[in-house]
Amino acid sequence: MMAPTLKPRVLIVEDDPDLLVVLRVNLTAMGVEPILAGDGRTAISRIQAERPDAVILDVMLPGIDGWSVLEDLHAMGDPVPIVVCSAKKDAEDMERARQLGASGYIVKPFDIDRLIDAVLEATGRSRKREPGRATELGIEGPELA
Amino acid sequence: MRFDRDKVPDGDRLRREARVAGLRDFRTPSLEAVERRRKQLWLVMTIVIASVAAGVMVVARPAGSSPHMLSEPLLRLSVIVLAVACCAYAIEKEVHLGRATRMLTDERVLTAALTNRLHEVSLLLDAGRAMNQLLELSELLETVLRSACELLDANGGSMMLAEGDELVTLCVRGREEAVGARLRLGEGVAGHVALRREPVLIEGHVDPKEFPGLADRAPYVESAMSLPLVHRDEVVGVLNVNAAADYAFTEYDLRAVAVFAEQAAAAIANARLYEAERAHVAELIELRHRHIGEVG
Repeated sequence: MMAPTLKPRVLIVEDDPDLLVVLRVNLTAMGVEPILAGDGRTAISRIQAERPDAVILDVMLPGIDGWSVLEDLHAMGDPVPIVVCSAKKDAEDMERARQLGASGYIVKPFDIDRLIDAVLEATGRSRKREPGRATELGIEGPELA
Repeated sequence: MRFDRDKVPDGDRLRREARVAGLRDFRTPSLEAVERRRKQLWLVMTIVIASVAAGVMVVARPAGSSPHMLSEPLLRLSVIVLAVACCAYAIEKEVHLGRATRMLTDERVLTAALTNRLHEVSLLLDAGRAMNQLLELSELLETVLRSACELLDANGGSMMLAEGDELVTLCVRGREEAVGARLRLGEGVAGHVALRREPVLIEGHVDPKEFPGLADRAPYVESAMSLPLVHRDEVVGVLNVNAAADYAFTEYDLRAVAVFAEQAAAAIANARLYEAERAHVAELIELRHRHIGEVG
């Protein structure tokens, strides 16, 4: 199968500037075009306006939180793949995310490679092989997948 | 040579997109300028298309009124070419305006997040400076709680200090009747935080199984944080903060206030040391007075 040629566009929804910058830099290095949102309201408007290929969604956000964003998108029937990031590792929260249509659930603090793999998988891509890093490259599916 | 977009700095890419999109101030583009340019573009396109339509109607008048200036196939071809050229121009500009909008929105999100961070850092510095200038414990606790509330835009909270295996509430903002309340280590949310030395972020219903001895009055908390104040491996107290009604604390808030809690713990330990020294000096002075009295 031929690899898709267009860059996948991923929306990062995060209020922590450090994490926002780290994810942006790493995703750009992986050949992804990142777009940013610092709160739930901006996230919903950017999803509707720019149709990203995937969304990395922090649950704890100022104003409209991540759960409300998920609920709104679920109610709208928006099929965009969403990888939820949360500090909570309760099965209840994971189940809630799954029911609201999330395609992955990553617990914070997370391994950046793991998150990127989950996002790439959500966009239907895989990490490019780099010589000497074979063991790191096997894609581990998102926890909910 | 092939132009590689990834290798060009974001600022240069943005300026390039703004220039190609036709922004007058392409060196300092803004979302408002992009929107203005977009409106201008569509207005010009509408005028051009309307003019072409009017022109066609004039040129293609019914036969007999006057001779055609252009032959019909040529006229058709000219109209089609003009329409296609206009559409291609508009689409090309729209693509660049779209890219510039995306980049400017990203920049705005990042700037807002970094501005918040800068504001927090400056509040932390101010709070640290204020705390280090105080040696009176009650005044210090008041300052710590006020600074924490300002840092987090919180609407209330409390400071509890460790006394043996208990925590004593010494300073409160919001529910003054709680002053003097005592809690055993391990009991309730604050007792749990002091015992485990781990901060807790609470939202919604609090599970009594997780926090044994939780007071009946607080099974539901909108959003709150409880942080241990640890200095030189010793828990000196607990800082509790409640969020304002329309706000829920995030892990980011917890991390910001954890830095503040470290400074507060050191300041409290110093103030306590100072109080102990002062009491000791007062005791020595009294002893001296007594001794002088006895000798006299």
